Amino acid sequence: MTGTDTLAPARSTGDQSTPAAPRTRRRFEVRRGAEIGALLLLVVIFSVLNPDSFPTVVNLRTILDQAATPLIIGVGATLVILLGCIDLSVEGLMSVCGLAFVLLSANSRGPGDLGMWAIVIGLGVGALLGLANGLVHTQLKVPSFIVTLGMGFVAFGLATILFGEDQLPFLRNATLTSWPVQRLLGLPYSFWLAFVLVALGALVSRYTRIGRYTYAIGDNELIARDNGVPVNRYKVAVFTIAGACSGMAGILGTMELGSAPARIGIGTLFLTLAAVVIGGTSLGGGKGGILRTAVGVLLLTVLNNGLILSGVSPNVQSGVSGGILIIAIVGAAWPFRSRLRIVK
Amino acid sequence: MTSNVPSRDHSVSVDAPALRLTGITKGFGKVRGVEDISLEIRNNEVVGLIGENGAGKSSLLKILTGIYQPDSGTIEAHGKVVRFRRPQDSAAVGIGVVHQEQSLLTNLSVAENIAMTGASAKEKGTKFGIYRWKKINKEAESVLAQVGSTVDPRAIVGDLPFADRQMVEIARALRVDEALDVPPLLILDEPTSILERNETETLEREIRALKDVGSVIFVSHRLDEVMRICDRILVMRHGRLVADRVTADVTQDDLFRLMIGHESRAPKRPSADGLGAGQPVLEIKGVSRKGAYRDVSLNVLPGQCVAIVGTIGSGREELCRAVFGADTCDSGQIVVDGKETRNWSMRTAVRNGVAYVPAERKVEGMVGGLTAADNLTLAYPGTATVGPFLSPGARRKLVADWFETLDVRPRDPKLRLERFSGGNQQKVVLGKWLLAEQLKLLVLDHPLRGLDAGAAETVNAQVQAACSRGVAVLLIADTIEEALDTAHVIVVMRDGEVTASYDLSVDSTTAVDLLERMV
Repeated sequence: MTGTDTLAPARSTGDQSTPAAPRTRRRFEVRRGAEIGALLLLVVIFSVLNPDSFPTVVNLRTILDQAATPLIIGVGATLVILLGCIDLSVEGLMSVCGLAFVLLSANSRGPGDLGMWAIVIGLGVGALLGLANGLVHTQLKVPSFIVTLGMGFVAFGLATILFGEDQLPFLRNATLTSWPVQRLLGLPYSFWLAFVLVALGALVSRYTRIGRYTYAIGDNELIARDNGVPVNRYKVAVFTIAGACSGMAGILGTMELGSAPARIGIGTLFLTLAAVVIGGTSLGGGKGGILRTAVGVLLLTVLNNGLILSGVSPNVQSGVSGGILIIAIVGAAWPFRSRLRIVK
Repeated sequence: MTSNVPSRDHSVSVDAPALRLTGITKGFGKVRGVEDISLEIRNNEVVGLIGENGAGKSSLLKILTGIYQPDSGTIEAHGKVVRFRRPQDSAAVGIGVVHQEQSLLTNLSVAENIAMTGASAKEKGTKFGIYRWKKINKEAESVLAQVGSTVDPRAIVGDLPFADRQMVEIARALRVDEALDVPPLLILDEPTSILERNETETLEREIRALKDVGSVIFVSHRLDEVMRICDRILVMRHGRLVADRVTADVTQDDLFRLMIGHESRAPKRPSADGLGAGQPVLEIKGVSRKGAYRDVSLNVLPGQCVAIVGTIGSGREELCRAVFGADTCDSGQIVVDGKETRNWSMRTAVRNGVAYVPAERKVEGMVGGLTAADNLTLAYPGTATVGPFLSPGARRKLVADWFETLDVRPRDPKLRLERFSGGNQQKVVLGKWLLAEQLKLLVLDHPLRGLDAGAAETVNAQVQAACSRGVAVLLIADTIEEALDTAHVIVVMRDGEVTASYDLSVDSTTAVDLLERMV
């Protein structure tokens, strides 16, 4: 024994340097009040600035209707980002699914009318392309960023081909075109659809194996694999879900417009990714949640809506959204910046 | 374990040892694996496995956990011959492992982490893919209770102190055997290396308690710990099992000698010619960093080589990183050549003549995709430039000279560095710093790791040459012998504190003395 040893350490030092009672899991990953606070603050500011136009029932419906598409996509996008991956194929998938849906419903261009099956097939196309995303990413080991970017363009190209030289195909079925704007409890169906999907997504990410394993994979893929998680299978499944979400958003957008121009999804990708990040889901994976994304979507939608009502030029709006995105990321990473050794 | 589980395998004899190895051998080309290992682990026994770095402990553990397959020899578990082809195979006969690295997902709760490793949906606590949180939490609680831990199963792992995480890992490793009717064998690979001192006491108590449940193989660097916990101690050296002793019959001194071997020779006296007196190049004054090292002070004179010896967790790596500016320290002062280094970036450190050869050569020390020539001139491009431009001619000559000096093979500076062998890569990494005239302090973190004898000799010779040029060297050696061979001064660190310091030109010390201060 050397002199530096204390062979009989005082056992009485029972008071270990345990940090204050460790936090237990928050049920739905909504941990920080900052985003909700910011949302409420925006609502108050815009209500004061535009007392006649902003805090009205009509405007509430507008906001919720506008939020529907990014909310639906946000469900899939959040899951993919929780994995530590990213899905950039959203806009392309929206166009191709929207067009598939129009062309298979009663439309101004052709005879094909499959009724409700058109919706199912539209969703299926999205899921299939999402599946392709996942398979290429996991089996051919291509970074998800590249795969989905490419797949987005492929889907966009498909949509352009389907679209062809003819006139824009219009939906003939009035039930479909008026569906999104019908109301339940005073709120549009489009919002309720998004609401159901968000709730479902939150439940899945909290109470199912696929949801929990998504968090596990996002935290550390290798450890997850060592712990017996079939990583690739779950990745493919999540990409498929994300594809179906994009398809759903494309179909909803088509119903609202009554038609499906190939550019139907343009702008949604940025809005959704910004919402995911502003909501506080880490792009590194494993941290965050769908409900947070929902708060992020509402925040950005209220911001855009409020800026329009306040008479701000649309050109300035995108600048403001982008600025807020960067500030949100800097703010989120601030406490950890010394630990981030390499940022790519 | 759980008595209500019906016995699946009636052929298991209760008296058979939990594990018996006979003549297990495994080699990896040049790298030493394990040779002719025969041993027995009985039920309800805690067995310590000790040995220096590279003695073959890790290889043996990997064989026991199905990661490596032995070249020859047999493994018997509970009296039956088994072959481990995959980690699951060893789990299937009741061997649970807690690896040295943490294997918990830090963003999930304790209960989820425990449930996740279950073999079936039932063990995972899910039904049709749906989590049954209540069941998962309850089960985790009972698993934790078995090892006497009171960690809240709902707590997020990332928020727990390391001792608690370690207990979660142990509980989880034991759970692997739940469905079997044999007592489990738990392998703990250096479970205390990341723990604070008071945390290890708790863990020690828990490990001793595990004896009632099954048997334990406890791998550790810390001899006092092994002596306290284990009933029997196995010593490995150079890939062989050199001793199997009952703890009561053996002293720490015996164990030191067994670990080092009897061939520990008198150290060669390194030449002290280049030793400049006067102003030290590096002065470390009472630096501390929470969880790594406490109140460390040491000086390095020009032309002097100071080696720090210590085990994993002694804080020596962290200390060296702080000197180079790759990490920060909480308090104290590091002075290089009269300049306080607080807030130095790595770039500033390089500009002030500090060089760092990291242990993780492939990750931190080199840019594999660049040519050897590019790597060689990476740190000090100034030596081969004219104004802002690279001067190809000057560079070619410089690189050719250094390839000659360092004996880099093949002599093709245009080859990408990743294509060279490890030894030649290391020569280039070292040469990158040596070619600068302003070099004052060379920090070497395991410079000989993975090198063959020839390359090690060249690297050593270059370090000696640098010393005689007046460069101060701070060395973290792989082995004690290496430190004794190359250094003028040896500083011993243990658990983040300096426990001893030997000036080899005055003191005479042996490997056994040093090891005694380390563990």
